[in-house]
Amino acid sequence: MTAGSVQPGGGPAPLPPPAPAASHPPGSVQHGDLAARQAELVAALVAGAPVPAGFDERLVGIARGALLRKRAGDVARHWPLLAAGLGTDWTATFARFAATRPTRGSLRDGWDLARDLHAAARLTGPARDELAAREATWHYRGTDAPRPRRLPALRRGDGTVVIQFAGRVHTLTLPGATDRSS
Amino acid sequence: MTGAYGVGIGWRPEISGFVAGLPGLRFVEVVAESLPHSGPAPAALADLRARDVAVVPHGVRLSLGGAEPVDPARVAHLAHAAALVDAPLVSEHIAFVRAGDVEAGHLLPLPRSREAVAAVVGNVRRTQAELPVPIALEPIAAIFDWPDDELTEAQFITEILDQTGALLLLDIANVYANARNRDTDPVDLLDRLPLDRVAYVHVAGGADHGGVYHDTHTDPIPAEVLDLIGELCARHRPPALLLERDGNYPAGDVLRAELDAVATASGYPTVT
Repeated sequence: MTAGSVQPGGGPAPLPPPAPAASHPPGSVQHGDLAARQAELVAALVAGAPVPAGFDERLVGIARGALLRKRAGDVARHWPLLAAGLGTDWTATFARFAATRPTRGSLRDGWDLARDLHAAARLTGPARDELAAREATWHYRGTDAPRPRRLPALRRGDGTVVIQFAGRVHTLTLPGATDRSS
Repeated sequence: MTGAYGVGIGWRPEISGFVAGLPGLRFVEVVAESLPHSGPAPAALADLRARDVAVVPHGVRLSLGGAEPVDPARVAHLAHAAALVDAPLVSEHIAFVRAGDVEAGHLLPLPRSREAVAAVVGNVRRTQAELPVPIALEPIAAIFDWPDDELTEAQFITEILDQTGALLLLDIANVYANARNRDTDPVDLLDRLPLDRVAYVHVAGGADHGGVYHDTHTDPIPAEVLDLIGELCARHRPPALLLERDGNYPAGDVLRAELDAVATASGYPTVT
């Protein structure tokens, strides 16, 4: 079995923001209400909700961990420099970030994490450039799907400036830029 | 699929060159959602079609087991994908991947209940109404089960196939994974499934993490899975078997050796 990831072009359209997690406390749903029971289970797996009554908590926990590792791999393919910058901490960092956030597609999941880490000054230089290039190319409010920017845009990277004009991205190194690895 | 296609492989962009270099190849699978909504098929797939290699779109996000009706736009894309590569059939899973608007990000198991059978059957029929070709349904590997199953796995699958007329995509590695994790006999399941309905078979590798076998598609095929192919073919040889690899791609010789091992286990000619 495989699961694809949402991509900005070619794949299915990015999905709308997820609805709030399970509206029923565990155990409150009657048999015969498949939709509500499926929602409870998904909330337990991806939104930090309790495991529904009757399920094996250990096995559901293992499934939750496997899901997060798989998502981490999918996001790393969309954000290779973000993932590479965290090295062996990538999977654990992503898993902590994503444990209670249902996926909005790999592009947006990585984007949200990159912005968080940028705000905490935890991005490496190449990861800052990667984020700057995305920010210059796409308009992403964080609440709905990214849209291509129609107007030229300019974003600071790591000792670089990323300029997007007519959809093409140019990265200029600023004079005096030195340490690219910090 | 009509006639025997023998051994195939899941086409992925990362191994496109390797797949193109398999001289005896007669069929591949492509993740349906990776095919474009408009414009031509990827050039590498068009090249395979020009060699008369069959391409089967394999959906992973339709959520046929969802309690809600299947999304018409997703069904339309699967139908478009079938036409785009002139597919002999398409396939999808007996699973759900979202509830409401919340994505699980993976294939999740269904309760083996009559209510779930009805949900799957309704969605398969909605899908079949739009498809230009038959659909094969794949039972998944489940790390956990629902607490209140009414039907056995064989009853659950057979009931869905009987009510929809769909074909079976039997994942022999999932049969192995589920039997190992549930401590049941995989051969017993093979004896209870309608093997004459098998359109093709998936084969993949996996690994044990913490006492649970994970169907990873990123590890080697265990010897036990190859043995199960032998058990399956001794009962009813399927027309085709397909190796799925989804990451941690090994060197070409390792993949060739796995394809050869599947050919040996099933008695089909090697494609390498």
